[in-house]
Amino acid sequence: MSIGLLARALMMSTPLLYGSISEVFAERSGVMVTAIEGIFLIGAWAGFAGTYLSGSLFIGILCAMLAGVLTAALYGWITIYLKQHQVVTGTAINILMLGFCAFFQRVIFGVPTIPLTVKPLPVIPIPFLSKIPWIGQLFFTQNILTYLMYVIVPISYFVLYKTSIGLTIRSTGENPEAVDVAGINVEKIRFSMVLIAGVMGGIAGAFYSIGYLGMFATNIIGGRGWIAFAICFLGNWNPKGAFIGTLIFGLAEALAIYMQSIGGNGLFPNELFIALPYILTIVLTISRKSYNVPAKLGVPYKKEE
Amino acid sequence: MNEQFRDLLLTTLLAVLFGLIFSGLMLLFLDKNPIEAFGILFSSLFRDKYTFGDIFVKATPLIFTGLSFAFTYKANLFNIGAQGQFYIGSVISAAVSLSLQDEMPGALALIIVFILTVIGGGIWGGFVGYVKARFKTNEFLVSMMSTYVALNIMDYLLRTVLKETKGEYPQTDSLSKAVWLPKLVQGTRLHWGFVIAVAAAIGIWILLYKTSLGFRIRAVGFNPEAARMSGINAKKLYIITFFISGALAAVAGFTEVNGMQHMLVQGFNPNVGSEGLGIAILANANPIGIIFAAILFGILRTGGLIMSQMANVPSSIIELMQGFVMIFVILSYFVRSKLEIKREKSKLQKVAGI
Repeated sequence: MSIGLLARALMMSTPLLYGSISEVFAERSGVMVTAIEGIFLIGAWAGFAGTYLSGSLFIGILCAMLAGVLTAALYGWITIYLKQHQVVTGTAINILMLGFCAFFQRVIFGVPTIPLTVKPLPVIPIPFLSKIPWIGQLFFTQNILTYLMYVIVPISYFVLYKTSIGLTIRSTGENPEAVDVAGINVEKIRFSMVLIAGVMGGIAGAFYSIGYLGMFATNIIGGRGWIAFAICFLGNWNPKGAFIGTLIFGLAEALAIYMQSIGGNGLFPNELFIALPYILTIVLTISRKSYNVPAKLGVPYKKEE
Repeated sequence: MNEQFRDLLLTTLLAVLFGLIFSGLMLLFLDKNPIEAFGILFSSLFRDKYTFGDIFVKATPLIFTGLSFAFTYKANLFNIGAQGQFYIGSVISAAVSLSLQDEMPGALALIIVFILTVIGGGIWGGFVGYVKARFKTNEFLVSMMSTYVALNIMDYLLRTVLKETKGEYPQTDSLSKAVWLPKLVQGTRLHWGFVIAVAAAIGIWILLYKTSLGFRIRAVGFNPEAARMSGINAKKLYIITFFISGALAAVAGFTEVNGMQHMLVQGFNPNVGSEGLGIAILANANPIGIIFAAILFGILRTGGLIMSQMANVPSSIIELMQGFVMIFVILSYFVRSKLEIKREKSKLQKVAGI
């Protein structure tokens, strides 16, 4: 296995990590963000549109964050404050976003004769570190979002398990009544977690459009939001587990791209490699023995009246 | 008419209206007149028999995928994999039709195709229920992922054994006329699939509300713990429910391939699964309501397409309309629960007043 493939795997796992870590936080507080596929999509679109129109990748990513957080706010309002069903609401938002992105892509850019492209996020080799054989090429020749990922994993682990905020978040998913009695607003905690998921999901989506491809298409996400959602389950609602999960899925995806680029290997059809992450999810979901499901996951909090 | 049903009808209609108004406002970004555009949408539906028939053609697969979601929903289970079950059904229908069409009379071939599609789709869907029963896996995740696996199976088969003889595009050869579902109304594309769909909806309603199996399914959905205590085997029900749900979605593939497309084209009808979910929500998961909700979505699809061509609006306006309608329908759930609480309160006050 070449080092280039591993470096690519690490890159491909980046957006999945942003998505699944934010899902860990939201689900620990008791809300599944089933709108994640739509949040990824609008992040990808807003990231692309913002970058194309402003000429700045930074502004593009800001647009993606904003679009993601607005979508998440709509989702959070309906599911947390109006207490509607999370799976159902998520699906509605995912369809709406599909229409929204396709529609406004056309409103803003019309029907271009040649595909619109932007320059994707540059790979920034870290001085000295990138010169280390193997490790340098693998870990220190990546783009900015991947570097950020290295920091996000330990920070989120620390926040979730070593701080009082983390304790509150976890209690909100396990025993919201107790949190409420302690004078903390359950809905506010959950809503903020969903907003964070919107910001992170927006960035993750932008990674697919401007992170390496430099273009947008409405099928660009293709279920990756759901994969991030699944990784959160498979990683047992733990940042460490999510990290390991994203690496595995990043590798599977890099392998699929690699296999397609060399035109398959005759023995196994290409489609098998494309389907690999999904098959892997099913197999891992089945083989997983015990789960630490947050007790009140998916249950809206209703105060006794 | 009782008050609850009146609320249901009224709030749902308002939700649909609001959804359309919101998507109409989006047209302003294109400097289009929404009233004119929607005028085209609705008037075009009645311009000829062919277009009017298309509403029901478009509604047919959606009735099945709507039923597919609603059926598991009644057992408090989530089948998000209708899209994949639809593709599996399409693949089986196309493959079996192509291999039987020259071997036997068309009617007999159609019956065999139908039965094999039901069994194949049922097994594909039933797998989700099986792993839930056997390993307690999350059916939401597994069914979701199974869609992408089904998609790749279809891609693979269309690239290899099922590929057309010309070998140009990833699609099958056309089915011979003998194995087409017969037309329902001449001069339209409307076929018997719509009748099968309506029959399926009525059948599912009877199954859910008039049989003991349906009672057990709803009992598990209502209160799994109580159902278990009363001796209902939930595990077996998971498998049966998912089998039926998968079979329903697969039959959508049968009616599309044998009734509409008369061939299998890679990645066709990519939203039929999620639209089905939307329809189930719109209909409050009532099998009979699903028929009407699917017809509404058929109207939006048929009229939306004509509107996009005639008023030069992108066809994504269709997804936008569906998305907005779904959001407002969910909001109407909230409004209804508020109305219900208010009514209960005033009833209590009346009682207390006496």
